[in-house]
Amino acid sequence: MQKLAIVALNSLLAAGLYATMSYGLAVIYGVMRIINLAHAGLMMLAAYATWALNDRFGLDPFLSMLVVAPAFFLLGMALYATVIRWLPRSSAGPSMQSLLLLFGVWLVLQNLAYAIWGGDTQSILTPYTMESVQIFGGRFGIPQILVFVVSILSLVGLNLVLRRTFLGKAIRAVTQNRDAAMLSGVNAGQIAAVAFGIGTAFAAMAGSMLSTLYAFTPDFGRSFLLKAFCIIVLGGMESFTGVAVGALVLAFIENFASAYTSIPVSYQDAISFTLLVVVLVAAPGGLPGLWRLLDRRVVAR
Amino acid sequence: MPAESAPILAVSSVSKRFGGLLALDTVSFEVQPKEIFSVIGPNGAGKTTLFSCLVGAVHPTTGSVRFRGEELSGLRNDQIVTRGLVRTHQIVKPFRDMTVADNIRVGVLYGRLRLRGSKARERVDEVLGRTQLVHRAQAKAGVLSIGELKRLEIARALATGPEVLCLDEVMGGLNPAEIQQAMVLVRALRDSGLTILMIEHHVHAVAGLSDRLVVLNFGKKIAEGRPGEVLRDPAVVAAYLGDETKEEARA
Amino acid sequence: MMALLRRHPALLPGLVFSAVLLLAPTFAERGTQNDLWNMAFFVVLAAAWNLLGGFAGQVSLGYSAFVGIGAYTTVLLAQAGWSPWLTLPVGAALAAAFSVVVGLPTFRLRGPYFTIATIGVGEAVRVIASGLDFTGGSSGLRMPAGTFDFTANYYAMVGLALGTLALVAWLQQNAFGLALEAIRQDIDGAEALGVNSTWVKLEAHAISSALVAVAGGLFATNFQYISPGSVFDFRLSLTIVLMPIVGGMGTLAGPVVGAMLFSYLQIKLLASPTLRDSYLFIYGGLLIVVMLFEPRGIMGLWERLWSRLPRRRTPAIAEARGAG
Repeated sequence: MQKLAIVALNSLLAAGLYATMSYGLAVIYGVMRIINLAHAGLMMLAAYATWALNDRFGLDPFLSMLVVAPAFFLLGMALYATVIRWLPRSSAGPSMQSLLLLFGVWLVLQNLAYAIWGGDTQSILTPYTMESVQIFGGRFGIPQILVFVVSILSLVGLNLVLRRTFLGKAIRAVTQNRDAAMLSGVNAGQIAAVAFGIGTAFAAMAGSMLSTLYAFTPDFGRSFLLKAFCIIVLGGMESFTGVAVGALVLAFIENFASAYTSIPVSYQDAISFTLLVVVLVAAPGGLPGLWRLLDRRVVAR
Repeated sequence: MPAESAPILAVSSVSKRFGGLLALDTVSFEVQPKEIFSVIGPNGAGKTTLFSCLVGAVHPTTGSVRFRGEELSGLRNDQIVTRGLVRTHQIVKPFRDMTVADNIRVGVLYGRLRLRGSKARERVDEVLGRTQLVHRAQAKAGVLSIGELKRLEIARALATGPEVLCLDEVMGGLNPAEIQQAMVLVRALRDSGLTILMIEHHVHAVAGLSDRLVVLNFGKKIAEGRPGEVLRDPAVVAAYLGDETKEEARA
Repeated sequence: MMALLRRHPALLPGLVFSAVLLLAPTFAERGTQNDLWNMAFFVVLAAAWNLLGGFAGQVSLGYSAFVGIGAYTTVLLAQAGWSPWLTLPVGAALAAAFSVVVGLPTFRLRGPYFTIATIGVGEAVRVIASGLDFTGGSSGLRMPAGTFDFTANYYAMVGLALGTLALVAWLQQNAFGLALEAIRQDIDGAEALGVNSTWVKLEAHAISSALVAVAGGLFATNFQYISPGSVFDFRLSLTIVLMPIVGGMGTLAGPVVGAMLFSYLQIKLLASPTLRDSYLFIYGGLLIVVMLFEPRGIMGLWERLWSRLPRRRTPAIAEARGAG
């Protein structure tokens, strides 16, 4: 019972990070129907940026997010203006063209990191990196808890923006029905730029946070990208609450698997990948789709 | 009493639900071989959904579709086509980068007949001839006019060698001369041995061509029978001809 | 003769290309032959991938898995005493079987979702291969002594390349090729005309994976040493995909052009250390440029330029052919 509590808490802490990571992807997909493979590269770049600030100026990684996130927001908008804007819109969903284009951007970002920082594994060490607390008899690292707190704060912030500001409503409108939104006076191009900026900023925050928990190389990001895909597919591509639920589910399955089975940690990627394929094939609407299915069966007759 | 010939198509209590929307509500009817059987009704009545259920593009939520006695529920679209039941699409979507001839060739190679080699080539030529597209055989499908595109859509379906051909609003967007041509074509197709199901809005075409018809409204069948009877039925007039008077006034 | 050439415009350059490759050992030195072997290797990978990726439109980023399956099958069986040539069909069969196992669930996914799934498959295979013991783990395996014969290796790879191109050209012309094209353009439309799209995709996947596996087996025979890093690498999957994309997906010549470009790039990159570290820039940059300016690649660019040229048309013949 205690073990279960520890697993649950670990999952919760991980889910916060996963959700932050996935929201960035979800916002971009929702507004532009683009699958942003460069997300992985952006997370990686942010991790390096955080490390560089820590290495050079001794800046605490969590504090540096105050710098990194806005910087990456601008970077995202710049990316949109220079490259993404020219992609043809396809009404039939995400296009191969956009996928491959962003894949190319990811490769360029990787090379950028190699060129600037080399291929050695880096990690960030702070006074509190090794500290931990005991809850329910399990040890939880301070960085882990801080990451969770920051994640929740940023997600609450995003939620407020989406629900209370005009910008947020415009984003939600374009996500649901682009043409109708445009008819209502929303400038879809501007919204897309902002959405890309937000997505990039969230990728950056996730990357910064990841840098406090894991060691990283320029190749870093691919397995997290796979997890993020898994989450937004699980959560239903267009539902923001769904992403949070998806993050919880994935985190729980991973922690459960490592705590109760003997599957080695290195195979964790295989878990998220398998889950991704299973969900894509069996329940393309994600959990919300399954819920609707269930709902109908219960209510129909 | 002579025994009734078995229906070639038997639709029994077919319902289709999309989330909260009930698109078809226990629709039942039978089609006799070599009939021209029309499905009419106001926009949104579920007619195209019905066709989608027949060919397996979507699966009915409940009910069954029997083709020559064989249950079709659960079969894929391509499986049903190879059994001899095919449809045209209301919104035509040819393979744009292929020639007209190649568009037709797909159905010849992979439809019910599965022809190869010289027999396949002959069939392509035959279908081109019957739909008057011979002069456009080598043109890319993307450059055709709307009338030609509609004929190509029929040609593609015809190429599969069906026994039952479902035509979904093949006369939509055509001028009166083209409509006459289309009616001649439909009659010729039936005379060559096909059974035809038609979704159509042009009332005079429906009245002129159909042996029998069925009327759908909000997914339910509200009338069935010969054109003369059905089109005078007050319920049909109320539900359907509200739309139609505007169409007729324009025609 | 002229009529034959007009109907198959690729025939003449194809014959010249084949002649050069086949006659090279008689006039070229060993280094050049090595480069040609490399190019032939890339031609096989690019042309085989193109069958599923270009013609059928299903872009898979996990093809290094098949190279690896072919390579490892050859090495392991050779170590057990098999003649290397006999191991090739086994590798091909295993790859084809694996492609079906992967394809059955993933082909239900459309477009980009399929591509993402294949990234995961490739990764999963690499992780597993690095972890297992009998595959030598991450340190790799070595071919047994006495299995190296350069001239035989050369002709084998060139033969495979030419054979692959011939096979793809033939498939493109016949019923199967039409089905692939139909699926690429409008998969629902194809099914509405009787095409069992899943079956066709599985067939294309199996054929192309088998060819890639044979190339992998020949790779092992030629290099005598393989490791997960060399054959199961994501970079290899990437190169395999970039060649037809940059060259021109869905054309016969595209993969060849792409293969020539990339084998040339590889030579240049290996020669210069600074360039070697920038290969991701180059690959990424190429991908960005192609996707933004000419998604149909070099062959697409060629076609665009070619159609702008003023040419004498013979309308009478075209009409007659059309009405025929």
